[in-house]
Amino acid sequence: MSWVGRPLPRKEDGRLLSGRGRYLDDLVRPGQLHAAMLRSPHAHARIVALDASAAATVPGVHAVLTGADAKTASRPIRPLIPTAVPLDDWCLAVDRVRYAGEPVAAVAAIDRATAEDALERIHVEYEPLPAVVDPEAALRSDSVLLYPQLGTNVLWHDVLAYGDVAGAFARADGVLRERFEIQRYASTPLETFGAIAEHDAGLDAYTFWTNDQRPGLTLTILAESLDVPQSRLRLLTPDIGGAFGNKRRPAYLLVCALLARRAGRPVKYVEDRLENLAALMHACNGVMDVELAYRADGTVLALRVRDVADEGKNLVSPAQHNLIKLGNIVNGYRIGAVSYEAFSVLTTKCPSGANRGIGKPFMCFAIERAMALLARRLRLDPAELRLRNYVGAAEMPYTTPPGARYDSGDYAATLGRALERFDYRGWRERQARARADGRLLGIGIATSVEPAGTNLASYELITGRRAASGSAEAAMVRVEPDGRVRAALGDPACGQGYETVVAQIVADELGLTPGDVHVDRGFDSSTTPWLYLSGNYSNKFSVTDVGAVLGAARAVRDKLARIAAHRLESAVDDIELADGQARVRGVPARGLAIGELARTAYADVLGLPPGEPPGLEARHAHQNPLAQPVGADRTVRSQLVFSNAAHCCLVEIDPRTGAVRLLRHVVVHDCGRELNPLIVEGMVHGSTVHGLGAALLEEFRYDASGQLLTGTFMDYLKPTALDVPDIEVDRLEHPSPFTPLGAKGVGEGGSIPAPAAVASAVEDALAHLDVTVRALPITPERVWRWLHG
Amino acid sequence: MRGRDDSAAGVESGPVKPAPFDYVRARTLDDALAALDADSKILAGGQSLVPLLNMRLVRPTRVVDINAVPGLAGVRARPDGVLEIGALTRHTDLLASTLVRERLPLVAAATAHVGHRAIRNRGTIGGSLAHADPAAELPAALLALEAGVVISARGGERRVALDDFFVGALTTLLGAGEILRRVEIPDPRDAAWGFAEIARRPGDFAIAGVAVALHGARGQSARARLVAFGVGDRPVRLRAAEAALSRTAPTRELAARAAAQAAADCRPVDDVHASAEYRAHLVEVLTERAVADAIGRLLA
Amino acid sequence: MSHVEVKLRVNGRVVVRSVPPRRSLADFVREELGLTGTHVGCEHGVCGACTLLVDGRTARSCLLLAVQLDGAEVTTVEGLTPADGLSVLQEAFRDSHALQCGFCTPGMLAAAHELLAENAAPTRDEIREAIAGNLCMCTGYVNIVRAIELAAQRLRAA
Repeated sequence: MSWVGRPLPRKEDGRLLSGRGRYLDDLVRPGQLHAAMLRSPHAHARIVALDASAAATVPGVHAVLTGADAKTASRPIRPLIPTAVPLDDWCLAVDRVRYAGEPVAAVAAIDRATAEDALERIHVEYEPLPAVVDPEAALRSDSVLLYPQLGTNVLWHDVLAYGDVAGAFARADGVLRERFEIQRYASTPLETFGAIAEHDAGLDAYTFWTNDQRPGLTLTILAESLDVPQSRLRLLTPDIGGAFGNKRRPAYLLVCALLARRAGRPVKYVEDRLENLAALMHACNGVMDVELAYRADGTVLALRVRDVADEGKNLVSPAQHNLIKLGNIVNGYRIGAVSYEAFSVLTTKCPSGANRGIGKPFMCFAIERAMALLARRLRLDPAELRLRNYVGAAEMPYTTPPGARYDSGDYAATLGRALERFDYRGWRERQARARADGRLLGIGIATSVEPAGTNLASYELITGRRAASGSAEAAMVRVEPDGRVRAALGDPACGQGYETVVAQIVADELGLTPGDVHVDRGFDSSTTPWLYLSGNYSNKFSVTDVGAVLGAARAVRDKLARIAAHRLESAVDDIELADGQARVRGVPARGLAIGELARTAYADVLGLPPGEPPGLEARHAHQNPLAQPVGADRTVRSQLVFSNAAHCCLVEIDPRTGAVRLLRHVVVHDCGRELNPLIVEGMVHGSTVHGLGAALLEEFRYDASGQLLTGTFMDYLKPTALDVPDIEVDRLEHPSPFTPLGAKGVGEGGSIPAPAAVASAVEDALAHLDVTVRALPITPERVWRWLHG
Repeated sequence: MRGRDDSAAGVESGPVKPAPFDYVRARTLDDALAALDADSKILAGGQSLVPLLNMRLVRPTRVVDINAVPGLAGVRARPDGVLEIGALTRHTDLLASTLVRERLPLVAAATAHVGHRAIRNRGTIGGSLAHADPAAELPAALLALEAGVVISARGGERRVALDDFFVGALTTLLGAGEILRRVEIPDPRDAAWGFAEIARRPGDFAIAGVAVALHGARGQSARARLVAFGVGDRPVRLRAAEAALSRTAPTRELAARAAAQAAADCRPVDDVHASAEYRAHLVEVLTERAVADAIGRLLA
Repeated sequence: MSHVEVKLRVNGRVVVRSVPPRRSLADFVREELGLTGTHVGCEHGVCGACTLLVDGRTARSCLLLAVQLDGAEVTTVEGLTPADGLSVLQEAFRDSHALQCGFCTPGMLAAAHELLAENAAPTRDEIREAIAGNLCMCTGYVNIVRAIELAAQRLRAA
């Protein structure tokens, strides 16, 4: 029986439960200084003058860095896609600030309090410029520009069409047109982002400790910006306190590095929560115009979308929110023709970036809202309308018009199971009875595909050339000389339990138990195998990491078998690994312990088969074969394999105050083979609550001058244990034919559909008022306005 | 820290370590009074003060810690029926007090809405009154109970009715050299109570709330005090609604009549969580609910 | 800003230190005592990550000045952990998969510890109420509630 698939408690938990985890802020380097950053109070302003000289005289201050210093001492940060005119983006603002909270200077001192004291001595003269906060306004030709040299705020605009869109709209019995909006929100991991940088002046080498979740790409940026070879950079990640896409800002690592070089001492910077909320990373807010062409029976023939992504001041990864939803813009539906118009636009707000499900929560909100409204228009049950339009299980693998390949799954069965678990019919009856008593209950359904693995080739749609592509990860498995096993992975865990799951995978391959396999905590660029694409993002563990681990484990397994066969004078094919031994199949008495084979491999190398090199270690990089270049017809596989989920939720609305109470939330998901069901279920719970927060509570609100109004945890409202119900989870398991163990992405199938499900439930509770939910979050005041016209 | 502090919005530089200050650990009330000056702050529970210190939104030169001053905590009933609550009495201890549960159920109900357990373990009744957040529960509940506060200064003591104590948002009559010593609540034995609030999340400061104390008995004319919170710059007496309830025998129908008058005395403002218009509406609904509960208890 | 001496007990051990008044208890236990199990998540008293026990009751250590703790008994997650292995509560967290990134966990354990000390058989609603001041961004709270329920059962059975 295999270890993979078992709900094993995690190996990580002992240290994390006893306070012995090692998170970034727990690390202390000898002589370490603490940095603080001075940030712009203006959303948009010219820096007329900046004088930091007084800060340097504060006792305890060891280094000060301004934007002008950064410009001299480093190179601009390279964007993922080049803009028409090169835009220099240094680690501190130079000449101009473009969002409230943008760093303009930094100080390193003996402690954080002293560094903050010194910030008060820096004098900045700003010439305020008009802010541009609304993305539709930013699109207009007369808009205030963030980068006048660019002549526009638009980083990408294109219309991509697949199939006969005009014909389908002409043939349709009806067209549903709606505009939807999504707010800015973020997953706000409980640990904020940070880094320690140490400079070795003798070697001109840098070491970074950071909770950056994408070290491969970050190392490339650091080397370019610091102008040192990558061979003189080392980056390590400790235990990471959650990430969800948010944990990345190469600029902060550069600030630490430049301060450390100036001070000649290691420098630590850890964001405080206010900095985290105002300045790290928000999911794009946006506007989506959706048109569905449909037949009278509810069959959707074509989809036309105009999708405006408000990037804030995001030069690092623009258009990501557009590209990543393009392939799956049809969600789980068989829609033959698609037109997708993309706008990626700069505004004077916090940089946007990856956030659990990136882009797809809005895809799902808009498409599922549209389907709910179509069901209402056609007087069809919303479940029935979906069943008429799903891609069928027999059609798998199914290629969407924009080019995504849905690999496996039975979307109708997923929804069916959710309705059954929810007792959909029963609740429809109870809802009607409650309505008669004046109670407003609402039932909402939303279903979604949940992609995994990003293929950067999709950027070719924008740039016309391929700079990076594919989806890959690297791993190492090593039987140490004492016979114990060690594994390492280029993807630093951020709470997903890789030390347990990787151990399960390796244990199966080597005939050991997970307890025999130590998996390195985090990432160390000098010992962990890694690629430019390495990192913890895009749900990619099952798509790439598993293949890398398996490849390395199987190489070690094969070598063990060869050594054992040689020592036991048997055929290699007759060797099996089980119970910590390599033995001859069918002759259990003829076996050698792994430790004995390790002794041979490392110490008694004359005992190796002829030609077999010493050592028992393998490195393997896995590239998922689904990743393809952009097609000549502009089809794109921006993501690779597709889990799916169905949510069914029950809300009650207070008819007088508009307060919404979540009574039940059922999730049925299918992520292929579950490697560790305990971990999978936990991720579904947490991910769903991220979506519920976005549905009802969370919003980064800006005023017209670009000031963030919800910049503390008093105003940016995360769900507490009293705001959400017990999430009820069930599952189907349709393994992917395109991943090594049949596993698929998990962790976004909650956050993607939950906002849409809640919106539908609220709308359903207010069905007598003919309300349409077009935006989030659904605050009690919004509901009250619907209730009272 | 909980709820709203508008001054905290738009803090881009985000200091999280206080500016320097000196610290005095007072051992007696006289120590504390001697240490106070115009630039000092009193530290009691610290649940509102310390976040403001951390963000450098308040920058005292001296923090005077009164936690070690004896005799400032506890609940007791005087022979004349007045209940005295020491300023340092913590929210958790209020909830645990039999006297509070039996004699001051309105205070217990209000306290249960304050923050979360860890906040209630430290936060004090005196601190809540002195901080005077207009959306806080305890100031409203105590005002509904016609409470007063005893304030100590170097020259002696004075007693101030809560009706006069709150003078604006986060502002009270407390002078720079004064310490709020205790709360005095007139014998509340014949008061029926009601309490209702709406917050974005349990434990947050309210978007709006209403506390009701209704004195009277079945068939006799009643005297009512209604106080709304979150709908003005301080806890607000709903005098028009009180009038609708007074000098008439309470019946269940009265709740709607009082509610119709509730918004008249409120001066709500817009903020990031709710508009003034919505708050005014909520006050009506919450008044009706709180009054109905109070009448129900009175008639029970 | 002269330093002030404090003497307190931390996890049963007497500690005497001279500290600047502005230092929080969270920074004090982490930086001066090396007890990094207490985590800092917001420094304005909302997230609950820094929750520990002061004289047996939960408190936000970011909202206390270290100088206030003179004479107090402070218990951090390190003090809630047996010399060997894990406590019943900690084991229930592991068995229920009640943690993912682990950053909120020490604060959650403090809140749960206080609840179970007062209430041997809490309902799910009471458990949710007790941990409502502690944010968790990973678990959706479901398994944390289950873990505390399981710990209560095991403690009652023991």
